[in-house]
Amino acid sequence: MKVLLVDDEQKFALMLAKRLALREIQTEVFFSGEKALETVQQGNRFDVAILDVKMPGIGGIELKRRLGLLDPAMKFVFLTGHGSKMDYTAGVQEAENYLPKPLQIEELMETLNRLTEGPTAAADLDG
Amino acid sequence: MDNAKDWFGYDSLAFFGKVNASISHELKNVMAIISETAGLLGDLSEMARGGTPVDPDMLISSTESIIEEIQRGFTTIRQMNRFAHSVDTPVVSVDLMEILDLVRNLSGYLSFAGKTNLHTGEGTAPMALTCPFILQAIIYQAVVLTFQNAGPGAELDISVQSKNESTWRILFDGFSPKEFEVFPDDRITHMAASIGVSIDWDRSSDRLEIDVPVSLEGLPSRPGSPEMQPGGNGSRNRA
Repeated sequence: MKVLLVDDEQKFALMLAKRLALREIQTEVFFSGEKALETVQQGNRFDVAILDVKMPGIGGIELKRRLGLLDPAMKFVFLTGHGSKMDYTAGVQEAENYLPKPLQIEELMETLNRLTEGPTAAADLDG
Repeated sequence: MDNAKDWFGYDSLAFFGKVNASISHELKNVMAIISETAGLLGDLSEMARGGTPVDPDMLISSTESIIEEIQRGFTTIRQMNRFAHSVDTPVVSVDLMEILDLVRNLSGYLSFAGKTNLHTGEGTAPMALTCPFILQAIIYQAVVLTFQNAGPGAELDISVQSKNESTWRILFDGFSPKEFEVFPDDRITHMAASIGVSIDWDRSSDRLEIDVPVSLEGLPSRPGSPEMQPGGNGSRNRA
């Protein structure tokens, strides 16, 4: 499984990518929507994009719309630090899945597995 | 309480809520990083238990990351505390640079905020007998609007100078005013008037000027003006 992770909170994104890597999920991290768009425009493909809702420049919801135009097969998960009802509603409407921060890794793994319907994310850590 | 005072009170409350929402978002980010890092340490522990070698550098960097985020959290809470106490005394003698420093820190929690540089003038600290909370609200809105329009890469320079013996002038430099003509709106104008502050664009030099009276005492009473602290002598009340 190949994942595009976009979050302007750099430490969070890098830490999450490490945890996903331990679960044999290949993750490319970008700290802005603009950079993420560039890589997909250049032909790079991802099974799932994990997007922060609130980012400077292109936010997660707009990024999902633009990425979807470039790659209609891409699945999306939204992350947000905001707990407002408005954000939650936007997330549910705009993405297949919405996960609040702080994240539960098990919940994210279940979501990724469900979206891709593959067994790759279930690798044992001690293997 | 007249209508004007009701309206003024709502704007202040709205500002208080907006800032606190941004602080809670910042703290949530801090907690999210700590959570992920602790999770990573848990992952590494599970690997070690299963006999997989674990890179000690990963353990060290993870621990350092947690310590850094805890410090970031404490810093954020300190700003939250400063902000919360800014309503303790409606009118008090304050150093305008302290007000600007707090506004800079608070606006930095917004995802779209750029960099704000504060420039201290020469001479004594720019002290003013004013309503710090309302002044913060005015300056905060100016900073927010600047970055909303100029983008996250923007840099804003703010300085304070003496306009004359009865007025301090806060200057915003480093951006073009043409996109910011919505500032100040009616609400900010009303809040500014309540504490004798005037806001003007100097279009010849592309800068925003916020004039703050050295003292609210002697200003004509306005609807919605905050109550003067009886016998207020400029002492602060912070935990």
